[in-house]
Amino acid sequence: MSDDIKVPSVLVENASKWYGQVIGINDVSLAIEGGVTGILGPNGAGKSTLFKLLMGRIKPNQGSVKLFGIDPWEDTSPYRRIGYVSESERLYDWMTGQDFVSTLARLHGMTRNEADSRAEHVLEFVGLYDVRHKEIGKYSKGMRQRVKIAHALVHDPDLIILDEPLHGCDPIARTSIMNVIKELGNQGKTVLVSSHILEEIERITEQIVILHNGRLLALGNIYAIRDLLDKHPHRIMITTEEPRKLANAFIGEEPIYGVRFPEEGKLEIQTNDLSAAHSVLPRVIVESEVKVSRIDNPDDNLESLLEYLIGG
Amino acid sequence: MTEIDKQGRNLSTTVWTQLDRKAGAITELTIRQLRNRISTWVVLGVGVLLISLLLVFYIDSIRDEFEPYDNDGDSEDWDNDGYPLGQENIYGTSDYDEFNFPGSSEYIYQGDVDWNDQPRTHEGNHTWYYAWGYFNPIWIDVNASNPFIYNYDWIDWSLGDYFCEEEGLGSDPFEIGPNGYYGFENIDRNYCQFENGTYIMFGAAFSGEGEFFVEPGWNTEWGYVTESFFVEKHPKSMYIDEDDIDWDGTSVSSSQGFDDDGDCLKDDYLVESTPSDSNRNGIYCDVQWTYDQYGNLISIRADSNVDEDPDDSRHIGESSHRTFIIGTGKIAFVMLLGLFLPLFLALGLVRDESENGTLHYLLSKPIHRGEFILYRLLGYLAIVVSYTVILTFIIAFITSIIGPGESIIRLSDYPVWMGISLSTILVLIAYGSVFNTVGLVLPRYGVYLCILFGVWEFLMGLFTITIPSSDITMLSISHWAIQIIDATVMIAWSDTPLMQQQADAFGLETGISFFWHPPVHTLGTGSPFVALIISVVFILIFSLGMILIGQLIFRKKEIM
Repeated sequence: MSDDIKVPSVLVENASKWYGQVIGINDVSLAIEGGVTGILGPNGAGKSTLFKLLMGRIKPNQGSVKLFGIDPWEDTSPYRRIGYVSESERLYDWMTGQDFVSTLARLHGMTRNEADSRAEHVLEFVGLYDVRHKEIGKYSKGMRQRVKIAHALVHDPDLIILDEPLHGCDPIARTSIMNVIKELGNQGKTVLVSSHILEEIERITEQIVILHNGRLLALGNIYAIRDLLDKHPHRIMITTEEPRKLANAFIGEEPIYGVRFPEEGKLEIQTNDLSAAHSVLPRVIVESEVKVSRIDNPDDNLESLLEYLIGG
Repeated sequence: MTEIDKQGRNLSTTVWTQLDRKAGAITELTIRQLRNRISTWVVLGVGVLLISLLLVFYIDSIRDEFEPYDNDGDSEDWDNDGYPLGQENIYGTSDYDEFNFPGSSEYIYQGDVDWNDQPRTHEGNHTWYYAWGYFNPIWIDVNASNPFIYNYDWIDWSLGDYFCEEEGLGSDPFEIGPNGYYGFENIDRNYCQFENGTYIMFGAAFSGEGEFFVEPGWNTEWGYVTESFFVEKHPKSMYIDEDDIDWDGTSVSSSQGFDDDGDCLKDDYLVESTPSDSNRNGIYCDVQWTYDQYGNLISIRADSNVDEDPDDSRHIGESSHRTFIIGTGKIAFVMLLGLFLPLFLALGLVRDESENGTLHYLLSKPIHRGEFILYRLLGYLAIVVSYTVILTFIIAFITSIIGPGESIIRLSDYPVWMGISLSTILVLIAYGSVFNTVGLVLPRYGVYLCILFGVWEFLMGLFTITIPSSDITMLSISHWAIQIIDATVMIAWSDTPLMQQQADAFGLETGISFFWHPPVHTLGTGSPFVALIISVVFILIFSLGMILIGQLIFRKKEIM
């Protein structure tokens, strides 16, 4: 075991992968060991490519990928210690949860009995113990995500990789999955979680990696990123029949420093402090007695944050 | 041998038992997946339907075709006396005369005085026949019934005595009378009596004791008429299939055949006559088979009434039964089930997993991709092999019970069915590995390639059945699979070639010469075992090669 400590669980060195003309990831280097790490990036940033490289499904064009010091493209032995939850929502719907988890557990070389008892254990851990004999096809979306997580945990892995585990879940399922992930981190496992929504990652971990256009953009603590996000100029788009009347009402409010009328029936207000702006917004609208049909935050997404971060 | 790995486990348990468990898990998963698909059940069901239809056809034809056939026609009774020709032949009676039948009284020749014989007098108690001359009776039977086939020369005693003098016949009947006729031609009887009691007979037949004087240039014949006795009438069916082919199959020109029913040898026959040697090979009642130096049959010359009525219910029945099994094995099992099962079950073994987006569950486990392919194929094989074995056993069981033969179960069928099963299983392995690999390489259009491949295999299979020695067919799997069946037939039913030649020689219409040929690839030994082993090894090597190619491709394939 002393050998393992020296090598990081995940080690990516100058890895590049392109599909014809399209770049998947570009010269990414990364070493991860211990705790929960969020992999953050908009759609198409290279998260899935990175995970496919880690799971040995594709081969890097340049650089190297190592899991516990072993190249997963050449050797599947690291998967004894890895649990992987893919973003795919497809499951064997005709199987029961118990069946699914224990069948896949047997692929780790467990006997049928071992696999069955381990499956019960992990299904209890993800909160599916009561429905473990129901067919997966009858599971809700959140239950399906959790059964996927259960299968990845069944062999008690040291490294768990979750690709968009919260995607499409309702708030309750989201909370319970987040708790599972946090608990895994507390148990001392290395966990990689990808998402394209900052708030989700924020609630799970402080340690994040940001990918953008295939490049590794930032690696560090989430609070630094959050500060950047709050300070970066935001636009709020309000759709209303009387934009000019509403614009008057906003003049003089502290966090707002400018207004524009980009098109007929729309008002754009500009702010440096998004949360403050949101706190005055309801009051101003009510006081102005203008009918508002829609409020959009075009800048409150990862894409615009990343544009801002790279100075775009 | 107690190697211990890092976790302190015995290495033999970690490597081998885990491998075994993984294989079991993937195989089991594959079986369950296939079981959960409707298309699996449809294709398996269609297979059962096909075999059931063939069985119905078999049961139907076994009733029609095994009707015995009277090849030599001796079950007919042309004169309607109730005795078939075969029975009349035994007793030497005629089947064209209703009064001449087994047991009917019969004139037996004893002697004669020819027109130029000496002496001219014979004395005795006889039935006289075609008598020309003077008869001086001690007694003469006036009431005897006519024992002859043709009764016109039997003296019609019912007309009463007829005196020669009254008709004006002189002492010399050959004297030319006033009308330019011989004397006897003036009377309309074939006899008359002189006043001294002597009769003169003009070609008459009669019974009596006395002295018969034959004038020079005249003649008479005498004998006796047997007592009539009752002979049981044989049923016509006794004379159907009564003289089987007795050819022992030695492929050299020789005397073969035996007169089973004795109608050539005339043993135990009432009529004494010389047995036939119409083929003039110096042997009575045999069949001469003549081959050329290449072993081709040139001629069959049989002495009359030898091997003339083959046992159809045995020959046609037996060869039809074999034809059915061989044809079913080659076409239904190898060429249809062998192609369609893998097309539906093996093509998508890995491809479907990839298309369904569930492949990653299996590949994110510590399993080599090559192993994965192998275990998937094992799962597929577990289903199709057990299906084939069960189906073969069912059809084997039914046909072996209702098939021809005296025994309750035709045990000799089972090795052939095992050969068919083996051949089908090997084909399922070979096509399964091909289709699985094609599915991997060309996930979208692979099915068309597989169909093309299937058409090729089917055509080559048909060619192999019709022209087994053609070289091009060796480039197909079906050719070698059919070889396996041909070889097992040769092993289990070693008299099949003989049966074929008999069928050809005697014009017995069965498909056995079409559906079966002796195995070709025997390396010159002629041994079916060699052909069997070569074919099995060929298919196995091909399958392993295809699995290896599939593993190599899958190993290098990036899974998006």
